[in-house]
Amino acid sequence: MTSDRGTTLDAIGLEVLWNRLISVCNEQAAALIRTSFSTVLRESEDLSAGVFDARGNMIAQSVTGTPGHINSMATSMRHFLRVFPTEELVPADILITNDPWFTSGQLNDLTIVTPVFLGERVVAFFGNTCHAADIGGRGLAADARDVYEEGLAIPIMKLYERGEPNRDLFALIEENVRTPDVILGDIHAQVACNDVGGRRLLEFMDDFGLETIEDVSDQILDRSEAAMRDAFRAMPDGIYENETFSDGFLEDDPIRLACAIEVADDSIVVDFDGTSPESKLGINVVLNYTLAYTTFCFKAAVNPEVPNNEGSFRPVEVRAPPGCILNAQRPAPVAGRHIIGHLVPNLLFGALTKIVPEQVTAEGAAGIWISQMRGFDERGQFTFALFSCGGTGARPNKDGLGNTGFPSGVAGIPAEVVETVSPLILHRREIRQDSGGPGTFRGGVGQTMRVGLLSASDWIVSSQADRVRFPPRGYLGGADGAKGDFWLSDGSHVDPKLQRRLPPEAEIFLSLPGGGGYYPPLERDPDAVLQDVVEGYVSIEAAERDYGVVIRRLKDVEKLIHLPEDYDLDLAATQRLRNERACA
Amino acid sequence: MSPMKDTPSAPSAQSVRLGIDIGGTFTDLTLIDDATGELAINKSLTTPENPSLAVEEVARAGLEAAGAAAEAVHSVIHGTTLVANSIIERTGDRTALITTKGFRDALEIGREHRYDMYDLFLENPRPLVPRYLRLEVDERILSDGSVLTPLRPEEVEALAAELIENEVGAVAVSLLHSYKNDAHERAVAAVLAEIAPDLRVSLSSDVAAELKEFQRTSTTVCNVYVQGLVDRYLGELERRLRSIGIDAALLVMLSSGGVATVDTGKRYPVRILESGPAGGALAAASLGQRAGHDDLLSFDMGGTTAKLCVVEEGRPLTTPEFEVDRAYRFKKGSGLPVRIPVIDMVEIGAGGGSIARIDPLGLLRVGPQSAGANPGPACYGYGSTEPTVTDADVVLGYVDPASFLGGRMRLDIEAAREAIREHVAEPLGLDVTEAAWGIHQIVNESMASAARVHLTERGKDQRAFPIFAFGGAGPVHAYGVGSLLDSPSVIVPLGAGVGSTLGFLAAPLVFDYVRTSLERLDETDWARANSLLDEMSSEGIAVLESSGVSREEISIERRADLRYVGQGHEVSVPLPDGRLDERALPAIIEAFERVYAELYGRVAPELATEALNWRVALSGPQPPLAGGETGQEGSDSDASPKSRRPVYFNELGGYEDTPVYDRYTLPAGAQLAGPAIVEERESTAVIGPRASIEVDRLGNLTCTYD
Repeated sequence: MTSDRGTTLDAIGLEVLWNRLISVCNEQAAALIRTSFSTVLRESEDLSAGVFDARGNMIAQSVTGTPGHINSMATSMRHFLRVFPTEELVPADILITNDPWFTSGQLNDLTIVTPVFLGERVVAFFGNTCHAADIGGRGLAADARDVYEEGLAIPIMKLYERGEPNRDLFALIEENVRTPDVILGDIHAQVACNDVGGRRLLEFMDDFGLETIEDVSDQILDRSEAAMRDAFRAMPDGIYENETFSDGFLEDDPIRLACAIEVADDSIVVDFDGTSPESKLGINVVLNYTLAYTTFCFKAAVNPEVPNNEGSFRPVEVRAPPGCILNAQRPAPVAGRHIIGHLVPNLLFGALTKIVPEQVTAEGAAGIWISQMRGFDERGQFTFALFSCGGTGARPNKDGLGNTGFPSGVAGIPAEVVETVSPLILHRREIRQDSGGPGTFRGGVGQTMRVGLLSASDWIVSSQADRVRFPPRGYLGGADGAKGDFWLSDGSHVDPKLQRRLPPEAEIFLSLPGGGGYYPPLERDPDAVLQDVVEGYVSIEAAERDYGVVIRRLKDVEKLIHLPEDYDLDLAATQRLRNERACA
Repeated sequence: MSPMKDTPSAPSAQSVRLGIDIGGTFTDLTLIDDATGELAINKSLTTPENPSLAVEEVARAGLEAAGAAAEAVHSVIHGTTLVANSIIERTGDRTALITTKGFRDALEIGREHRYDMYDLFLENPRPLVPRYLRLEVDERILSDGSVLTPLRPEEVEALAAELIENEVGAVAVSLLHSYKNDAHERAVAAVLAEIAPDLRVSLSSDVAAELKEFQRTSTTVCNVYVQGLVDRYLGELERRLRSIGIDAALLVMLSSGGVATVDTGKRYPVRILESGPAGGALAAASLGQRAGHDDLLSFDMGGTTAKLCVVEEGRPLTTPEFEVDRAYRFKKGSGLPVRIPVIDMVEIGAGGGSIARIDPLGLLRVGPQSAGANPGPACYGYGSTEPTVTDADVVLGYVDPASFLGGRMRLDIEAAREAIREHVAEPLGLDVTEAAWGIHQIVNESMASAARVHLTERGKDQRAFPIFAFGGAGPVHAYGVGSLLDSPSVIVPLGAGVGSTLGFLAAPLVFDYVRTSLERLDETDWARANSLLDEMSSEGIAVLESSGVSREEISIERRADLRYVGQGHEVSVPLPDGRLDERALPAIIEAFERVYAELYGRVAPELATEALNWRVALSGPQPPLAGGETGQEGSDSDASPKSRRPVYFNELGGYEDTPVYDRYTLPAGAQLAGPAIVEERESTAVIGPRASIEVDRLGNLTCTYD
């Protein structure tokens, strides 16, 4: 339009266009969150939304969401375009799939893609991936034996053709899921938000007189790639290895995750060779999802300011032997893929401590615990996914975060909302003392929850919980965080990942892991330990045992309130104790 | 400092109103005499150790300058950043929390959410109540309001004794599902009142009776945490004003854009958290309306941030939630949530002091980091070499180095050029002018983007909203921002008349209530809904009547937050007047679908609708804002430039010799063609070549795009 809009793609014009693209994606995601029906979307924000150029390159995405969705959505576009080449699409077509191998690794994630037309020509795609509360099958549980048990599969197909809904598909979905109103409501929200994005993009192109966004896309992608390569070039060449373990299923062998990160000049090859084979039950990870968390990891640790797009992914190559648990093959069951997938950043950070120890974190609780509960109450059938988070790993310069999701970006759900939309009752949700791994910087604390049912019928429960056998590890002298725990009101510590039917009066208990510590605990500032004792994150006993810090309570332990001045930090005794330990 | 009218006139009895705002640096005053239309402003340095000192000082000086007697003051409307600062600096009372057994950590566990996906080093907000003061009682109410475990008063008695023993000054009581049944919270309060009568107590069912324990508790804690401070301070203020002879009603400005009595302010100090910014938006709304614009976009650009707010039908839009004390100022989720109606403002890191730099992609970025006031932009000459927006504006000729702040501060243009050359121009291979234009353009673009997202999230089209520009840098950038947004026009008020304190004087007395009661509309127990609404209305009428508003002057707006059954976000919809029953249903649903379609483009008529919150907002009459007319009449022939200087306009391909006008000599009715520069003491309006300007009778510049 006017010349002051700067259409020449120099550093300034490009920044202007780039800003607008990001704001278009944020509008898309805002519309999605506000019109959605499931608690998973609206409270937990388990979604991603982004814009792609006409060739299918992801250029930008909203600031909400989780890496597992965002980065695997980027790869999914290739598969959509393979099935429906651009030239076969017409205006008002809308595509859908939940194929785990093409998208984010479980059937519950529905990806919807809408081509945007300028006249007769596709100029962009808007896509989003959302977690559906139910997709039929066994419900979202980790103990299926193949993907067919896990629910309804929707191959890449048209949800709308020339604006006409695919009524057969809608009927099929409605018939196959437990809470069709919520699921269909969310699908409508997914469709509507792509429309919002598309409209805004066309206005934007009109404002700037653009016929395509290819040029912007190429430049942003190339610059992102170059910035990542610069960062890699600054790292010492070499091969850096690490391994970590997941519980898997308690009756089986634990699962080994192994990696070798090869830094060669300006690129990285990550090889997951040595990783355990697929599990017979549903905790397997498709390559797309492994890739998503691998690229996330390098961006967060090495160059967080670089935009997350096709270009920033290019310098990272990922290899995982087919059939290993990080590259599961059809028809492996995959519903609990995040349990293993969320450990990937921990695994890679462990290797990176050898070269960039100031840029990574210790191991944390990693996987969010998704406790799936279903049954009946007077309103009919209910199914509820309770998201909860343990502590994150300590950082090289500060403590880890208590009860905060990492690497996933989802949010928890308030107890009052849980109890309003389901017959569940939360009796307790509190910080777990002594769960943060000791270190110069302490791991984040976990939490303990007690959940019951206010209904007269049986309920079915499982929790996609890990780190019950293997604690989050501390790094560089930091100690491990506390392991998780899952038990029933009859006192039995059962495998959380296996579904079980419980009588209505039964209750479940979840203790989420704390993060690992960073650097040796004997070097922690005694005042910081005192502060932790005052707040109740660390017990007086653990302060002495783990940190060599001697603290006395000056007030009757039966009292309800203990102020900071009700404790005495004995610095002389602390010094003596720490010296002894150091000599030992 | 400068009364806008020089002729003092004898004010009639009790016709003077004062608006007073305590900011971080200055305490500002606006005086208006409703009888004569006289308007005056004054300013004094804030006295942080006893803020009421500065208030006394500024009131005394203001009255003197306006030639008004203290006895003539009819009301004083007061806003302050004190409450927000007390939370940010953690200077409130030692505060405890009493909550349901098992949930004392809800305040800390929060949403379990990282507000930045890629930042491995972020921090969560620190709760105002430390863990050792978060206490539990063994009681339980369920989501339907029924009691699972009754409260035992003995347990509260034991708690109360310890609170006294440990010199706790304030207690927030927030029990699960109290928005549905407040009996237990009231019982706790009764025990505390008996055993610890000096303790300040806030109940979550009273402060923010809404679903979601984290947000409700956080709001209640914020309220009681600052209650002591606000109580002492407002009491002291009343005494001081009386001591200088002002025997007027003292009212406090609310974050929502209304005013309330001191008693309300003392009881619900959390409602005055954002009173300063609210005043700015109200001033824009009120002055805009007088200039003939009911709808506008208020645009306030200062040294570190720009604030944008949508005004519709003369009222700034409000929102039910905001955050205080953000760890990262512009990151949602990094602060303490407060569920209180607040003027819906978007604040971004774009101001005169915003720093320009090259990002890892080799692109030019501006803000959100700011050079602040010290060292400030490079051109301030305080030793900073980082280029800022103000440096670019100086290089482009928009801001005159010789007349900045009325000539009180001389700017160093060479330092500005050097900073831009070193940090932007050379790395990007541009000349200094191109680089400066880039900085100007990018900061405009980010403000325009923020405005666009803010408007579309609310279902509005930016092309319908004129921009009302103020703040030190607002008029410099408004033309560019308006051109990016395709705005119809830009209005620049006479700077002296615009500040939050003027807005205070345009605000009506208001009070609002909310109750959560989740109901499907087709199954609503209307008798219950009516009694809920009536209860809130009569409570509000009583409050307003006790503040001196007569029943006939009170207007009542009832709304419900509605959504499709199962959704998690609501849209607020006005309810019909009178008693509600199923016959009102079609009108309510229709109103819901209208708003929903406006926001999201489509409706889902096959789905049932439910109500979550029921709201009642009561307001007194809106005070008139007469006065402020320049009194000078003239024609375009009277408008002659005071000087000319080269100014950069990209549309003209470079620097153009441009006329510079003195704002204070421009007569009403004057018409100018762009490009033009109009200077006044605190700001400079930059008008590009694609617009023409008209000066109205109030001294506003209205700049219309060709």
